[in-house]
Amino acid sequence: MTLLIVDDSMVMRDTIEQYLSDYGLDIIGTASNGREAIQIVEDKKPDIITLDITMPEMDGLECLEKIMEVHPEANVMIVTALADKYTGLQAIDKGAVGFFLKPVDPDELKEGFNEILEN
Amino acid sequence: MNTVSKQDFENTCKLFIAAIHKYFNHLSKVSPTAIAPSETGVPYVKEPGDLVLKEFTGMIGISGNRKGIVYFSGQREIFEDLLKVFTKLDEITDERVLDMAGEVSNVIAGNVRETFGQDFMISVPIVFQGKPSSLKFPEDVPVFVIPIKWKKYEAYMVIGLE
Repeated sequence: MTLLIVDDSMVMRDTIEQYLSDYGLDIIGTASNGREAIQIVEDKKPDIITLDITMPEMDGLECLEKIMEVHPEANVMIVTALADKYTGLQAIDKGAVGFFLKPVDPDELKEGFNEILEN
Repeated sequence: MNTVSKQDFENTCKLFIAAIHKYFNHLSKVSPTAIAPSETGVPYVKEPGDLVLKEFTGMIGISGNRKGIVYFSGQREIFEDLLKVFTKLDEITDERVLDMAGEVSNVIAGNVRETFGQDFMISVPIVFQGKPSSLKFPEDVPVFVIPIKWKKYEAYMVIGLE
């Protein structure tokens, strides 16, 4: 399984990589904004994508829409600090399979991954 | 300085204090070495001219139903400790310290949207070391300061919202 990590914070990119290190995933790239992410998705078609929302240049929700256009099979897990319900509903409506609130509980994130892997 | 109702001051500070404690409490789930309660001191209204800055700062611009800025400011050591918890990296650069400051401010500001709603719009973090060339608080707005202590480190959460 291939993974793309999208977050404008390098600390968060490293953290997510740490949390998921047990899964033996092939991390095919990281991106710090939506534009970079779309390029990687088009080129490499990752199986799983963790996606932040508040990012420069192109935010995560706009990026999610474009990902679903170019690679609808992608399993996109939103990882964001935005704690309002509307944002979560919007993300699910646009095609995300999971929504994780920062600060991220590593066990919750792993549970989300387990569900994807099982399905 | 503009006046602020006691209710508004208390409500705003309560929301941010809850988000601050949530942030530091979650660290115990990341690493047993990070188990330490965060403490917040008595919030106060910042005096004009007092910048309330420590060495590294992550600032978030707020627009939408509230306008202004919020920032989290602390000494290098608090961010170094947080970086060790998250990344396990030995080499800690200024770039990573600034990134950590931005991420703390992003998480705390983003979490208060649970109450303020989706129209409480937050910017990407603006990060800086020391005193920036310009630090503009919204005019005629009382700026709240929440002193924070985690482990032996002191930090500030500063909130200037219309």
